[in-house]
Amino acid sequence: MEPDDTFRDLLGLDLPPERLSEVLAAYRDILDGIRALRSLDLTDVHPAVVFEPTAPYRRGGTDA
Amino acid sequence: MNELWSRPIESLAPDLRSGKLSPVDLTEAYLARIAAVDPLLDSFIHVSADAREAARTAEREIAAGRWRGPLHGIPVGVKDNYLTADMPTTAGSTAEGLAFPMRDAATVARLRAAGAVPIGKTRTHEFAWGNVTPPVHNPWDLSRVPSGSSGGSAAAVAGGLCAAGLGSDTGGSIRMPASACGLVGLKPTFGRVSRDGIVPHSWSLDHAGPLTRTVADTATLLQVLAGYDPTDPACQDQPVPDYAKSLGKSVKGMTIGVCRNHFFDGLQDDVARAPAAAIDDLAKAGARIVEFEIPLLAHGLGAIFAIELASSTAYHDESLRAGRVPQFQPDVRTLVEMGRLVTGADYLKAEQYRSVLMEAFSKVLATVDVIVGPTTPITAWKRGEWTVQVGDRPESVLAASWRFTYPYNLTGLPAISLPCGFDRDGLPIGLQIAGRPFDEPAVLRVAHAYERAHDWKDRRPTLTVE
Repeated sequence: MEPDDTFRDLLGLDLPPERLSEVLAAYRDILDGIRALRSLDLTDVHPAVVFEPTAPYRRGGTDA
Repeated sequence: MNELWSRPIESLAPDLRSGKLSPVDLTEAYLARIAAVDPLLDSFIHVSADAREAARTAEREIAAGRWRGPLHGIPVGVKDNYLTADMPTTAGSTAEGLAFPMRDAATVARLRAAGAVPIGKTRTHEFAWGNVTPPVHNPWDLSRVPSGSSGGSAAAVAGGLCAAGLGSDTGGSIRMPASACGLVGLKPTFGRVSRDGIVPHSWSLDHAGPLTRTVADTATLLQVLAGYDPTDPACQDQPVPDYAKSLGKSVKGMTIGVCRNHFFDGLQDDVARAPAAAIDDLAKAGARIVEFEIPLLAHGLGAIFAIELASSTAYHDESLRAGRVPQFQPDVRTLVEMGRLVTGADYLKAEQYRSVLMEAFSKVLATVDVIVGPTTPITAWKRGEWTVQVGDRPESVLAASWRFTYPYNLTGLPAISLPCGFDRDGLPIGLQIAGRPFDEPAVLRVAHAYERAHDWKDRRPTLTVE
C-alpha cells in the first residue's frame, strides 16, 4: 500500500506520509488475524450486535 | 498477617459491624500504607481528600445501628477511567483539551450507597488501551509490570493499599492484572454491571468488575455492583442472586470443561503446570472433567482487534480531528490511528464471528457447568520488555498476554481469575474459570472451593519499605 492523499482521505487520517507508513507497518501483524477472520464463510450469520429500536424507550427496571 | 491492611474484607467487615474496628482507623491505616509504599508502586494517581470524612460518616452510622452491609467503612481504590464526583478523572491521559465530568459512575454511586470509602483513583493504561499500566510496579517484583490495564488497582490491592479495587476489562484488563499480581479478578457477564460513567474503550467489549484478595470479597463487591441501570444501554434487567450462597459449597457433582485448543497454547512451563494441577485438584474434589475443543477460536484475534480498534477510534474521533491524538502515549496513539484501517466489512464480520463463537460456547456450556484453564500464558514480565520467552521461542507480550482472556470478552461470558500457584521466580499464576451468562454463582462456587483448598490467597508480596 502506497500512502497518498486519496488514501489518507479515505482513512480520514491527516498524517504525514512517514507516520502513515509507520501505522501501516504496525497494522501488518493485526492484518494477519483479520485475514484469518475474513477466511470464514459467515454469509448466513447475523452479527452479534443487534439493532434495537426500543432502547430509547426503556425506563426503570426491577433491580432485584 | 495481623496488620489491618493485610486483611480481606471478609475478615474486616464483622469487626467494623461490631464496633471492634473503626472505619476511621482502617482508612488511616490504608492512607499511611499508601504514603509509605506507593512511592515504590506508583499505583495511585490521586488520593482522596474526602476519604477521612467518608470514614467518619461510616463510623457514626455504624455506631448508630445503621450498618449498610459488608462494604460499610471499607476503603476501595477506583480505576481512573471511572468518573468520580470528588476526584478528577484522567483515564490515564495527559493530553491537553480533554475534560471528564465530575460525577460518580453508576458503580461508584453504588459503592458509596453501600458505605464504602473511595480512597483514591488508581492508575490505568491510557484509555484502558494496554497491558502494562505505566508507571505502576508489580508488588511481587518491582522490576516487573502489574499487567493492565487495571494495573493500578491490582498493584494497590496486592500491595495492601486498599481492601479492593475497581477495574474494567475489554480484552482481559481485570483478569490479566489479577493474575500477574496474585489477586482475584472478576469480569462479570456483559450487562450484569453498569458501565455508566466509565470512559468507554470499546462499547460492546467493555465490562466493569472488582479486584480483591479473596473470592468471598469478590462476591461481596459483585453483590453491590450488579443490577439493572437503564443509563447503560447494554445493562440487562436480570435478577441479582445472593452471591454469598455460592460460597462454601463443594464442586462434587459439577461438570468442569477444559478447552484443549487455544487455551493451552504457548504456555510458559510453570504456567502449564499450575492450572493442570488445579484441574486435577478439582477432579479429586469430585468434579467431572470433560475435555473439548472449539476450533473457531483460531479466528478470534482478528475479530477482537477489528472490534476494539474500530470502536476505540470511533470514540476518539473528535480527538483525532482536533489533533490531540499525537499527545497520547506512543503505543496508544498508534492503536487509535490504526483503528481507521479496519474496514466496515471487517468490523461486521467480527460481529458475525461473535455470533458463531457464542453459539459454540453455548453448546459446550449446555453440558458443562464452567470452563477452567490458565488466565494468561505468561507471568508478569520485566518492565520495558516487549517480548518474553515461551519455551524455546520469543513471543510478543501484546499477543501472548490476552490470548486466553479475550474470548470471554467476545462472548460476554462471566470469567474470574484467582491464584493457583507461583512460578520459579515467585510470581503469581492465575486460574481462569468461566461460566454461562449470568451464572456468576457457578463461577464463584468453583473458585471458592478451589481457593479454600489452597493457601495461595494468604501469601503476600514483601515490600522492602517495611
